[in-house]
Amino acid sequence: MKNRNFTNLNINPCKVCMPMGAVMAFKGIENSMVMLHGSQGCSTYIRRHMAGHYNEPIDIASSSLNEEGTVYGGEKNLKKGLKNLIELYNPDVIGVATTCLAETIGEDIKRITSEFAESEGLEKDRIIPMSTAGYGGTGFEGYFSALLSIVKSIAKDSRPNGKINVIVGNVSPGDVRNIKDILDSFSIDYIILPDISDTLDSPYSKEYSRIPKGGTRLEDIRRMAGSSATIELGVTIPEALSPGQYLLSAYNVPLYKCPIPMGIENTDLFVNILSQLSGRPVPERLVSERGRMLDGMIDSHKYNGEGRAVIYGEPELVYAVGRLCFENGIKPVLIATGSQNGEIKQLFKEYFSKNGMSPDEEGKNGDFPLIIDDTDFETIQDYSVKLEANILIGNSDGKIITEKEGIPLVRIGFPIHDRMGGQRQVYTGYNGSMRLIDDITNTLLENKYEGYRKRMYSKYYQPENQVQPANDSRTADIDKKTQSHPCYSSGAACSNARMHIPVAPACNISCNYCNRKFDCVNESRPGVTSEVLTPEQAAEKFVMVKSKLKNLKVIGIAGPGDALANFSNTKKSIELIKKLDPDITFCLSTNGLMLPYYAEELIALGVSHVTITINTIDPTIGAKIYREINFMGMKLYGEQAAKLLLDNQLIGLRMLSSRGIVCKVNIVMIKGVNDSHIPEVVKKVKECGAFMTNIMPLIPASGSVFENMELTNNRDLTEMRKKCEVDLKQMYHCKQCRADAIGILGEDVHGEFERNSCKGCAPAPAEAGRKETVYLFAVASKSGIMIDQHFGHAEEFYIYESRDSKIKLLEKRNVDKYCSESECDSEESKIEKTIKAIEDCNAVLVLRIGYRPAKALEEKGISVIQTCERIEAGIRQAVKEIEEARVVLGARS
Amino acid sequence: MNAVDIKQKVSKTLEQYPAAVFKNRKDHVIVKDSEADVQIITANTRTVPGIITNRGCCYAGCKGVVLGPLRDALIITHGPIGCGYYSWGTRRHKGRIDGDEKNYLSYCLSTDLQEGDIVFGGDKKLKQAITEAVEIFHPETIMICSTCPVGLIGDDINADAAWAQKEFGIKVLAFSCEGYKGVSQSGGHHIANNSLIKHVIGTGERAVGKYSLNILGEYNIGGDGWEVERIMKRIGYDIVSVMTGNGTVRDLSNAHLAHLNVVQCHRSINYIGEMMNTKYGHDWIKVNFIGVQSMAKSLRDIAAYFGDKDLIDRTEEVIAEEISEISDAMEYFRNICQGKTAALFVGGSRAHHYQMLLKDIGVETVLAGYEFGHRDDYEGREVIPTIKADGDSKNIESIEVEPDSKYYRVFLSPERVIELKNTINLNDYPGMMKGMSDGSIVIDDLNHYETEEFLKILKPDIFCSGIKDKYISHKAGVFSKQLHSYDYSGPYAGFKGAVNFARDIAMGLTTPSWKLITPPWKKEPMLEGTMAV
Repeated sequence: MKNRNFTNLNINPCKVCMPMGAVMAFKGIENSMVMLHGSQGCSTYIRRHMAGHYNEPIDIASSSLNEEGTVYGGEKNLKKGLKNLIELYNPDVIGVATTCLAETIGEDIKRITSEFAESEGLEKDRIIPMSTAGYGGTGFEGYFSALLSIVKSIAKDSRPNGKINVIVGNVSPGDVRNIKDILDSFSIDYIILPDISDTLDSPYSKEYSRIPKGGTRLEDIRRMAGSSATIELGVTIPEALSPGQYLLSAYNVPLYKCPIPMGIENTDLFVNILSQLSGRPVPERLVSERGRMLDGMIDSHKYNGEGRAVIYGEPELVYAVGRLCFENGIKPVLIATGSQNGEIKQLFKEYFSKNGMSPDEEGKNGDFPLIIDDTDFETIQDYSVKLEANILIGNSDGKIITEKEGIPLVRIGFPIHDRMGGQRQVYTGYNGSMRLIDDITNTLLENKYEGYRKRMYSKYYQPENQVQPANDSRTADIDKKTQSHPCYSSGAACSNARMHIPVAPACNISCNYCNRKFDCVNESRPGVTSEVLTPEQAAEKFVMVKSKLKNLKVIGIAGPGDALANFSNTKKSIELIKKLDPDITFCLSTNGLMLPYYAEELIALGVSHVTITINTIDPTIGAKIYREINFMGMKLYGEQAAKLLLDNQLIGLRMLSSRGIVCKVNIVMIKGVNDSHIPEVVKKVKECGAFMTNIMPLIPASGSVFENMELTNNRDLTEMRKKCEVDLKQMYHCKQCRADAIGILGEDVHGEFERNSCKGCAPAPAEAGRKETVYLFAVASKSGIMIDQHFGHAEEFYIYESRDSKIKLLEKRNVDKYCSESECDSEESKIEKTIKAIEDCNAVLVLRIGYRPAKALEEKGISVIQTCERIEAGIRQAVKEIEEARVVLGARS
Repeated sequence: MNAVDIKQKVSKTLEQYPAAVFKNRKDHVIVKDSEADVQIITANTRTVPGIITNRGCCYAGCKGVVLGPLRDALIITHGPIGCGYYSWGTRRHKGRIDGDEKNYLSYCLSTDLQEGDIVFGGDKKLKQAITEAVEIFHPETIMICSTCPVGLIGDDINADAAWAQKEFGIKVLAFSCEGYKGVSQSGGHHIANNSLIKHVIGTGERAVGKYSLNILGEYNIGGDGWEVERIMKRIGYDIVSVMTGNGTVRDLSNAHLAHLNVVQCHRSINYIGEMMNTKYGHDWIKVNFIGVQSMAKSLRDIAAYFGDKDLIDRTEEVIAEEISEISDAMEYFRNICQGKTAALFVGGSRAHHYQMLLKDIGVETVLAGYEFGHRDDYEGREVIPTIKADGDSKNIESIEVEPDSKYYRVFLSPERVIELKNTINLNDYPGMMKGMSDGSIVIDDLNHYETEEFLKILKPDIFCSGIKDKYISHKAGVFSKQLHSYDYSGPYAGFKGAVNFARDIAMGLTTPSWKLITPPWKKEPMLEGTMAV
């Protein structure tokens, strides 16, 4: 996962600069002023932005450096500015923060300010220099480095005072008031730093004071060194910037760190610390508020479960909001900050581990959110779409995503300049957290019910009854493609080449006539391939083949498993090849089980021809042909399975044909099983919109259940085709091709293009009665005795061999060894590297496994068995399952 | 309050300053007195450090004001993140695309320099950033604007731009508009003007209509430019380019082909007006599209320039129709606003322009000032020869142009020039002060302290300024209207815009909240009663 789409260009920044953070912190000190040492644009810009958010006058002085100052130094301007500032405002304390300009010309503000204080006869700590280069960090670091500078310069009185320091992160004045209320409810004597509750949200009064009233008193800051404890509301702050850490190491003030109290657990933690430190029970008011919050959380869970949130902003805020979302079943799909901060990810990993969830799987379907730092809104926007977010939580700057992608935004943090009340927001404590949940829930609801009836109508009702007319230009295009498709037009069969790309190894049904276990180059029938390709390899191969076969018109995906059981591979392959050659015709063949689910996507991908194998329309017959089906993780057998398969096949066929997709139905003619039933099948599929049927003879593949079935002779076949031709167009030129066939029908040249040439037909085809079966298993185990480990947690796997039911431990494989440093240093490649380590195994035995890796394994043709028992017992069971149910295994050699 | 009283109060306010500041500031404040011989104001000089000025920087003037509204130019801010971020989408210069045109107005692109780049130089990063920008956006024009540190670490953005121009075959312009240059945004305007005349204007070719013109210094805040264009098009003008509201580099490249330049914001764009006059022979007319009467006058002036009877008749026809459409509404709002007073402190032109619109609704201006105006904006262009260039202005490049061999034209005969000069502001701007009434305060570079004090002295009903000083005014109980961004409202220009403004002012003055400021326990006796024992 990349933090940013582009490394040298920050597109739509998700951060502010350090001096602004410093100003925000300093505004919480009583009777204070800030002066920025630099060009006056810095203070003007920052005043403009803060005024827009807080709706208050924001006075920030500037030393107004100009060209002369950059050449000869800005000392004169700074001193002059300080003098004027004192004269006009008479503040108790002045923060002098540097800017890009001052830092670049190397101004020594520490010296300048202390010289100034001395020459003016001011107390030493009246002026606090703060080094905040705009390029040195973000507003987040600026905020805490300002607080640290304040504490370091002023907090020097270490006489014990019995008070508790509370250092607050950058939250709204409303939230500071709320936190003070909570402190007051424990009757705690505290010093809160900074206290912007009045200074940045001052009440209207007849008398206007130039420096707003309120803020942390200097006298109090002085005494912070003697307090009995510090609570720092911040857990992502680098230690070097933490005022609490400083007070601990310099004055031994015990430090309690706690996230911003947003969400029930974060607030519990804060309240608990207060109860401990004060020695008082939690006040009844808070107990009730907590109860009400829980009540509300439970009430709104049914809406929140649909939430897929993108949370962005300053590190401290996104961590707190992220925790609140997790507690409420709102799934954060992306947590992003513009600051450089690795702490957020670490904290969420700990949170996951503590709660028994797996922190391994990031992205669309994993539970662990994608967490990126040092990012920009361009990237956040991209991921918001990719990860299918339906709500944004963050400041107003994210509205750019709402405007472009239509994802609604719940505003929190800084800045909120396009809505009112950012400065009054109360989203902390039990009361405030509940408010935030309500705002999120209501935004989700508003979005859901906007056009709800229309959406539901067209989703569930309309498609059945009202067939959408196919787009005319698309239909014309498809007609053209049909003319040139070797399988659909016998004329084209002689001139146009097609290429089957074997990118779909897994299958979701088991047919009795199928055996995909071995490959021999000389064998030619469906389900056979010499190699399985990744989408990238397929694209590569396409380029190679295309350069040699100029008449290549069609790309087909025909297994070796089922194209739709490996949909992500199928999709990716089509996308890649389409980019290389937009005119190519795409077709695929499928058993139809997943067709209703992917039909729309296939159309969108530009697949124009689909072949569905429908051998029967009678579930009783179906039960004789299909051993089992695996439908979305559920195994079905017998007639039940056949019925489900049939329903899906017909629905899928209807969906595609109604949209103008040309559908061919393949029927395997199996003597004594479905042969007399075939005309009925043809009639039915015609009714559902099939373009033609292709009745094929059974090939009794050795090793398959039907290996001893009677062959269908050509005469019977032709007779059947003729009979059915009355109803529907028939295909007479089918060559029953391999899954990696290339060339003109009947002249397969796939061998010329193989990546690895054939090394003989090993393992030998099984002979009846004397087969030695060898399976390899990878076992995730902590103890080495039980299958007791999560796939994602396993750093090593026990590799067992089962040879003719004899089980033997071969070795232990460390996952790390199978990856070169360069490719596996990022988090997301961990799954890949694990799979790489156990690639040669037939199955993996684990305690639990996440959705994504399970899918990845299945795509590789490795079976996944989740169980919790002794290793040997597990393997025995696995072998049994494989052999009895004939779990489809990928071709391994 | 009479002029003498005001003068005294002004002096008293300024005397609160330390001596050096007093010496500086007293020359920036004038109480208008038509009896006096000359009234000279000090403007466009350095701001006193430590005073809370409202001025911005050179970068803001260049990137934010002049270049920002060009919707087909991809602007990359070269510097640390702050400046790019702060100038992102804050100015409300609206843009709308035609067909498949490109529009980059909603984007903020920055090279986001880090410590290492400051130490080792940012050229490499800039080049790569341009490469990435080309890859994603495929722009036809890229503009690079530098911020403070760039000028000091030795990055050669001109060379980088030249490299990119060659490498990608597109227009790449570099603007060295580091924040510390000059004394305010004004320097940035000039830098942008220079480059536009050097590299953009005069590079295109298109057929123009019979009455064609460029609108200079109209930035389409809140849609102002659209209202103006609507009216102009009704009359039959071919607007070749707008500088730069909703403008494009493509349109600007054809600007030299138009017949006339009309100048709305004198301060930010007069350089182009003058340079085009020298280079291509164009005359320029100072117009004011803000206010019903001044809009009508501007339209008449333009028609007079062309001197075509049909055009003049058509102009009168449109003016009559437009005014009849709005007169009822204006009347209604004037009844509410009549007799109120206003203080204005805005940029470099609006403090003048809006006095006309306020007059339309019966509001008198008692104080007006510019953030970054020059003396000519106050006193009129006739004082330009007497302005001594100081070090700060010399630091901003002033380029010399020569008549263009291919495109230079003479539009008017010398007699016609003299004739027109008597009736319209041909190639001239008389400044703001002349039209103001005696006793009103004219002030340059107003700061926080003075704002507060003058609000107390003058007690205006309306304070028109920006967001930074808006809340000072609100805390003082004075309704404030932002004239930089219009408080998310607009358009205010032209005829229909005038109604919007009148409505917003009436709304602000009559908000019921003002009446609730004093709670009942402060104005009424407490309830009396006896306690039952």
